[in-house]
Amino acid sequence: MAKVQVLNVAVLDNPSPFGNPFQFEITFECMEDLPEDLEWKIIYVGSAESEEYDQVLDSVLVGPVPAGRHMFVFQADAPNTGLIPESDAVGVTVVLITCTYRGQEFIRIGYYVNNEYTDPELRENPPVKPNYTQLQRNILASNPRVTRFHINWEATMDKMEDSENVDPAPNTMLPPTSMPSKAQPLGLMPDNSMDCL
Amino acid sequence: MKLLKPSWVNHNGKPIFSVDIHPDGTKFATGGQGEDSGKVVIWNMAPVLREEDEKNENIPKLLCQMDNHLACVNCVRWSNNGLYLASGGDDKLVMVWKRAAFIGPSTVFGSSSKLANVEQWRCVMILRNHTGDVMDVAWSPHDVWLASCSVDNTIVIWNARKFPEIVMTLKGHTGLVKGLTWDPVGKYIASQADDHSLKVWRTMDWQMETNITKPFSECGGTTHVLRLSWSPDGQYLVSAHAMNNSGPTAQIIERDGWKTNMDFVGHRKAVTVVKFNPKIFKKKQKNGSTPKPSCPYCCCAVGSKDRSLSVWLTSLKRPLVVIHDLFDKSIMDITWTLNGLGLLVCSMDGTVAFLDFSQDELGDPLNEEEKNAIHQNIYGKSLAITMESHLSSTIIENPEMLKYQQERQGNQNPNGAQGSGPENQTPKLTNVLNGESLEDIRKNLLKKQVETRTADGRRRITPLCIAQLDTGDFSPALFNSVPILPGSSASTQLTPQISSDSSTANSLVYMYVTSYFPALSQPMEPMKALDSRFTERSKATPGVTSVPLTIGITPLDRVKDSSSVKEPKVKDETSSDSEDKIMAKPLSMAKRKGEMEGAEVVEKRKKGRPRKDSFIRTHVMSVRIKDKTKEPSRLITPVAVLKLPTPSIQKSFSTQVSTDAIAYLEVENEVSVVSGARLSQLKWSRDGREWDTLLTSRITIATGSSDIVAVACEDRTLSVFTTCGRRLIPSIMLPAPLAALHCSGHFVMVLMASATLSVWDVQKQTALVKNESLNPILSGTDATVSQSFLTQQGVAVVSLSNGKTYCFNSSLETWNLIADKQDSLVQCADFRNCLTSQDALGSMGPLALTQGRNLSAGRLASRLSSTPHHLQQGMTLAFLENQLSSALMLLSASEYRHWLLIYARFLVNEGYEMRLRELCQDLLGPVHKSSSSSWEPTVLGLRKRDLLTEVLPVIGQNLRFQRLFTEYQDQLELLRLK
Repeated sequence: MAKVQVLNVAVLDNPSPFGNPFQFEITFECMEDLPEDLEWKIIYVGSAESEEYDQVLDSVLVGPVPAGRHMFVFQADAPNTGLIPESDAVGVTVVLITCTYRGQEFIRIGYYVNNEYTDPELRENPPVKPNYTQLQRNILASNPRVTRFHINWEATMDKMEDSENVDPAPNTMLPPTSMPSKAQPLGLMPDNSMDCL
Repeated sequence: MKLLKPSWVNHNGKPIFSVDIHPDGTKFATGGQGEDSGKVVIWNMAPVLREEDEKNENIPKLLCQMDNHLACVNCVRWSNNGLYLASGGDDKLVMVWKRAAFIGPSTVFGSSSKLANVEQWRCVMILRNHTGDVMDVAWSPHDVWLASCSVDNTIVIWNARKFPEIVMTLKGHTGLVKGLTWDPVGKYIASQADDHSLKVWRTMDWQMETNITKPFSECGGTTHVLRLSWSPDGQYLVSAHAMNNSGPTAQIIERDGWKTNMDFVGHRKAVTVVKFNPKIFKKKQKNGSTPKPSCPYCCCAVGSKDRSLSVWLTSLKRPLVVIHDLFDKSIMDITWTLNGLGLLVCSMDGTVAFLDFSQDELGDPLNEEEKNAIHQNIYGKSLAITMESHLSSTIIENPEMLKYQQERQGNQNPNGAQGSGPENQTPKLTNVLNGESLEDIRKNLLKKQVETRTADGRRRITPLCIAQLDTGDFSPALFNSVPILPGSSASTQLTPQISSDSSTANSLVYMYVTSYFPALSQPMEPMKALDSRFTERSKATPGVTSVPLTIGITPLDRVKDSSSVKEPKVKDETSSDSEDKIMAKPLSMAKRKGEMEGAEVVEKRKKGRPRKDSFIRTHVMSVRIKDKTKEPSRLITPVAVLKLPTPSIQKSFSTQVSTDAIAYLEVENEVSVVSGARLSQLKWSRDGREWDTLLTSRITIATGSSDIVAVACEDRTLSVFTTCGRRLIPSIMLPAPLAALHCSGHFVMVLMASATLSVWDVQKQTALVKNESLNPILSGTDATVSQSFLTQQGVAVVSLSNGKTYCFNSSLETWNLIADKQDSLVQCADFRNCLTSQDALGSMGPLALTQGRNLSAGRLASRLSSTPHHLQQGMTLAFLENQLSSALMLLSASEYRHWLLIYARFLVNEGYEMRLRELCQDLLGPVHKSSSSSWEPTVLGLRKRDLLTEVLPVIGQNLRFQRLFTEYQDQLELLRLK
């Protein structure tokens, strides 16, 4: 079973102007002392169309992690606006928090983010070139989407028998096609779910 | 008989492989398949038992569910004491669960499920050893061992007192081991496997007692589980799937010679599970019928792959009841309630059934006494063990011992009762961490958290440890809590438009939800694309490199490898120091404002340091040695360097002398000049009585005790008066100017500027300490004397600014370290569970005074997350022994007694028999008088044997030491009679 359980993520400073740093207060619990650090990342999805526009806003190592309950604030700068396609600047996108241990991602927490102008005038007639100073970022903090992956927590390279996606909220937003299933033979698993091995 | 199928007990249609009712009967656990993992669920029993509870919305049905097993859970079993739940599954793991101490509903983060866990059960241990699916787990009587069996053909016996220690791996089966049962007497464990055998193993040497194969030779290997069971009287072992004349049976194996002459016949398919009723019954005496002696009998439930259940009484040749087609699929597990009248059955089809019998149907259950009598009859006195599941495995031999055991249980029960009922939960929302509330911590977390850079320039955050794992002291406040809003932590980035209060911020979020959720109902390509991002693991995330961050880290903040262990330590130290600072403050203030009116100084002292202890006088003086570094030339002769500052001479001052009845000393220097000599006046007043006397030199320090008054003058003389003003001894000429002066009882202590110490007993007119240098304790340190005082018993105590406190022992003529604030032992010693409620208030005495709040230091120990238990144990032991010897050195009888009892309790709790014996032996002394014995019957005026009388009840609380208890109890009694 997973040695690290994320218990809560509180979105701080939300909603906030687009240029403000992201702040997530993460509380997690660890079953036993971890010999290695956890690596946390904040990924901003620049465009729904392509992963090409994903920006890793920051990555931090968190450690040492003894057994117990811990918390920390993960702060990362706002995305580089130059790397966001202009057409995708305003509207709904996603910010992801991922955590990896020994290079294996075991949890992915996603939030919908709505970027919109606060000024009704701008809202009605948005400029062609997005005015980032007027944009407000609103993270839908009440509805995190948590995906957990099974990884090998031990140093020994035991072969992992199954890879599993746990979606605790299968009833919302997830299109049926992307519903992961344990029953799938390993060969049918999406490529990217096994890359950590 | 009543039959009920509670439909709400389900794993969403997935198979339920195991069911077990908690020993207290208030809840039960099921194990089986979850959505895509194994699942353990704890259910409330009340809605099963009573219809009105089932209908009552306020009574929770599901108490807790755990999805931690990676694969299907095959077995769940409560420990006999009800504290633990063990589960074994296809993921090869055995997990041991314990209920978290704090209680509060919580949901899984990110889960849409509205169902909160009413109880918190946490995995406290993962037992890894099996290389295949774990099929069955079983707790031994009295929870000494936990056995697990697996498809890896082995049985592992775990030490349940010391997880994850393995006592033994039982090898011998050549097929998948699918069932386990312990002999209720504790002599054997039996296992049944697919290799057509049932093996009985001895617990004495873990060797095989017998291997039974004949009834199983025809069996196929298609049953999922083979849960066998041992009868509560220990006489019969009943197997799962066996064959007799090509028919499936449950084989009855007699303990006597392991004979296999009988079986339960009738099921059409293989028997998967057999479960004996925990009670032994006797025939119900009907009114009017002639009472005839009847043999006690047992009751057994048998479940089969044929989806039917049969219940048998060993006194009847035919089953008491057979229920066909109870389920759609095979029966997987059976559990009885502890009263023996209820029965829960679970099935592969994912449902459970509850059977409720009446006493008319089953008979009168024997009470524990009668059951014990049967055991004693069969197995003899020595073998008979009490079936009382709460008691430890030892027989209580001594009536006194029994009394202490019962007292102890009585004390524990209120807590236990609180923990068991799901109704009386008291969510504790104020989690305090080092005196800080969680909310405070959250507000400053960003500023406070330690951030460093690794060698390759990456950010590394040390997370703040907010709770240790095994304390269970977790705050539910975290869950479902409203995020902290801007203004608290991110004030710098704050813009006016978002500085709204929480309610508007929340409403913003919800408005926003409604605004874009309708859009979701129509399939939208971009949204779908976004959604997929939630669940897909990233490849080595492509593209853009991270934006350079702007958080400035000052080099000062960098702490290499600063662990969360270290942090609280530092915090605590400052807090415990602060007390001393407060103590020293009023005096240093008095020094600085030397010209101030004396009366005002007294006022300040009273306010700043309200003292309640009546028996210790603590005239604290703040003295400081001159900084050595400023005078490097003197370093050559270190003895000469040690120079304590002398108090400046004030025009007038007054001090409060004794604390029991308020007495004041007033000093007025240079009241008059008579023939060239300046006269100074000393005035003593108490309850209206007063006297005054004149001295020819200016008075620097005046102090007094309940018996004497001592005054030091500028001309290095020391005068001692009685409290009536009579001079006791002619002026003592001091070798050096005085730095500090203390009185206590008939003792006078002087600390001279030359850093030497003298203590006199003015009543006996003897010197206890003669010009003893402070050099041994001051040399080699930069420390200064921060505090000094004299105990009631005339022991001089000197505290240094480095946190160390010494006392001078005049018989050994040594300085002895009695307290050290930096001492890691103080920080780590954890003896809280050895404190009684009276002890918790702490002891009063010189030791407590020098050590400050060592009790809170002990509390810190639990926060030190990674200290291994044995280390902690050792540190606590060392600390307690230090305390004991320090109290002895300080001649502080009450503190000696206080720490002696804590020490004894600790030894008893942790099982240090040798030390306990040594302690008792010393307290008891020789029973027969002999001239060679150097044993002192008293210690610090306390009679040792009286102390032993106090220690013995403590020993009586641990059954392990009952021999020790009896031994000393008897000897003490013997002495008393003499």
